[in-house]
Amino acid sequence: MTRVWHYDGTSAIRHQCLFEAEGDGFRLRGEGGGDAHYRFADIAYGGELGGKPFYTLNAQKGWRIGFEDAPPPDVAASLPVPEKYGRVIDRFGIGPASAVFLALSAAFVFVAIKAPDWLAPAVPMSWEKKLGDAMIGDMGGRLCHGPGSDAALKSMARRLDPKGTPIDIQIANIGMVNAVALPGGRIVIFRGLLQEAKSPDELAGVLGHEMGHVRNRDVMGALMRQLGLSVVLGGASGSTSQAGDYVNVLVSSTYSREAEARADAHAIRLMREASVSAKDTAGFFARLAEVEKKLDKNGRALLGYMSSHPLSESREKAFKQSLVKDKTYTPVITPKEWMAILDSCRDDPKVEKDDGFLF
Amino acid sequence: MGVGNPDETAVAFDGNWREFLPIALTNFGLTLVTLGFYRFWATTRERQYFWSRTRFIDDYFEWTGKGIELFKAFIAVLVLFGLPFIALQFVMQGLLMQNQGGAFFGLVLLLYLFWFYLAGIAMYRALRYRLSKTYWHGIHGGSDEPGWAYGWSFIWKNVVAYLCMALLFPWSMTALWKERWEHMSFGPHKFESEPQWSSLMGRYIIAYVSPFIAIFGAMILMIPMIIASAGSPGEEPPAAMMGAIVVVVILAIYVLMPLLALIFYSAYMREVISTLRLSTLEFYFGARTKDWIKLFLGNVGLYLLAGAVAAIPIGALGLFSVFTNLEPGHSPFGDNPVGYIGFLILLVIPFGLVTPFVRYRGWAFYIRHMEVGGIIDLATLTQSPTRELKQGEGLLDALDLGAM
Repeated sequence: MTRVWHYDGTSAIRHQCLFEAEGDGFRLRGEGGGDAHYRFADIAYGGELGGKPFYTLNAQKGWRIGFEDAPPPDVAASLPVPEKYGRVIDRFGIGPASAVFLALSAAFVFVAIKAPDWLAPAVPMSWEKKLGDAMIGDMGGRLCHGPGSDAALKSMARRLDPKGTPIDIQIANIGMVNAVALPGGRIVIFRGLLQEAKSPDELAGVLGHEMGHVRNRDVMGALMRQLGLSVVLGGASGSTSQAGDYVNVLVSSTYSREAEARADAHAIRLMREASVSAKDTAGFFARLAEVEKKLDKNGRALLGYMSSHPLSESREKAFKQSLVKDKTYTPVITPKEWMAILDSCRDDPKVEKDDGFLF
Repeated sequence: MGVGNPDETAVAFDGNWREFLPIALTNFGLTLVTLGFYRFWATTRERQYFWSRTRFIDDYFEWTGKGIELFKAFIAVLVLFGLPFIALQFVMQGLLMQNQGGAFFGLVLLLYLFWFYLAGIAMYRALRYRLSKTYWHGIHGGSDEPGWAYGWSFIWKNVVAYLCMALLFPWSMTALWKERWEHMSFGPHKFESEPQWSSLMGRYIIAYVSPFIAIFGAMILMIPMIIASAGSPGEEPPAAMMGAIVVVVILAIYVLMPLLALIFYSAYMREVISTLRLSTLEFYFGARTKDWIKLFLGNVGLYLLAGAVAAIPIGALGLFSVFTNLEPGHSPFGDNPVGYIGFLILLVIPFGLVTPFVRYRGWAFYIRHMEVGGIIDLATLTQSPTRELKQGEGLLDALDLGAM
């Protein structure tokens, strides 16, 4: 006979019973024990109370028994085994389970990092376009349409990329020195960049680079990555500043180094095929490299193009090396077209002023 | 039928940290290798330990919650609130880009209001879940009230408290405590709560007025400096004096303000717990401000220890220099992802090991200062008619309110 304490789950009274093994189960003898036969198969390990194990009955909530002294070996062998880490882990043991978890985690991380690059090309361009329109619209009326500027931009795009589907290129009345590829295959050049550019060929290199991002679907990939990160890092924890973060991601798009290199290669190829000289673009990067040398990292962050693109020195080299000796290059657009682009914001009376609100 | 020994304290925590250590260690390891997924089961194991070592009169508490319940609730919240919220961010960003400032700020206001509503409900439902999973003598607690009404009450009481120059927070806090607990029951008995907010006002006023006095005092201190610099134009005020003022301001913000808040909070906790009753049982909570200070200083000590332990290998491996790219919008570890991951792991390990012990200390603290009086009749303490909940405190988890 083994002494047990027992709660029947209907009242809080603690019964003292005798545990009597019988066939595939047991009976509880004594006041409050009832007369039922309980099967070992119907009880479960409940945990510990003050360090001693107790058992529950699956069909009756609050039903508990615990042994006052260690149960006899044959009873102990019939009792459910204690649960420790969780059912699945207990079955395999903590060592093997951990190894499997670790392998699964590593695979998950790998897939999560690579998934945007795999999935982005599968997103139909029309969806991306809708998303881009919803997110950016007309940039709050900040897009400049001076006389002849749109035609000039189109002509530059066609010259660089005559075969591909036309890419929509716009100028925004924003003083930042930058150019970005936006969702939906749009490229926006900021007024600040035009003020910095010394020739149309310089702009052509920058444009070709952003065209590379559009053709490689890098924008969608970056967007997916940001979305994924915000889910993983619990971006949904109630912060509304997140909306601003998405804008930031678009402007200072954090493409991987490989994506940046691919975009540069794309630009160089376009220019070579169009017989546009990469010399001026190399010069643009050389000027940026000069500035970069003087600035520390934090200073550079304030300048759009440099903070969102790789270091300029290596890019200068790449563009310079692409030049072929004795090849005849022609300017990407006519001087008249170039002037139309340069003055597009000044000559557009309807454009919103650069109020520095967004950027 | 009464139980217990009149010479013995009615509630006590019998755990010890050596027993808890293997639980904390394995929880941490499994959480790490599952990228955080195990934490729901880790929380459950931790609670099982805390509850099972907490003696109430003649027997221990039992935690019957399951990891899967917490996990399901987390997923539910993610799908119901997280995903729509992320989608909404795109809408909001679109509004901003298209110069729809009015609509944008309207939406932000609405979101905050909604978030606030959810926060109230989350706190209520966490209490309800915890009581429904807490067994003693085979009997559990809980409530069948879902808490939607409590959410509204939470909003308007806090708004009223705030509108009265924030002077009525002792009222809103005690009133909400009462509302929460009076919806809860254990077995057949409802909790009763009668906290008096007027007794808390003295301490609240001190905490409330002190910052103003401090600012006023600082301004008076500035007067001789202003006179001095006015007398000799172009001359900077003495650096030592400026330094002293900076030190005083920092001390005021990081030491004085939390201290004042603690002075109020300790009185609040004593008041609300000491006026809580369950049938013939009366609860009592005696932690004074100095006890809370000791608790917090101990926790700070643990975190400092973790920081020191992390700093040694990080420094030795030269990993402080992996942050070469600190520009906004850039990955700070772009140049050295391996170094960055190493840095994170070395940082996460000591802190991940210390936090369970911070929770352990918190639990032990509450139990140590808790007392229960009165005689309980076990025969009339029958099984609770409330439903046992199948989903954990996911909302609380998602809104990150667990610390409260």
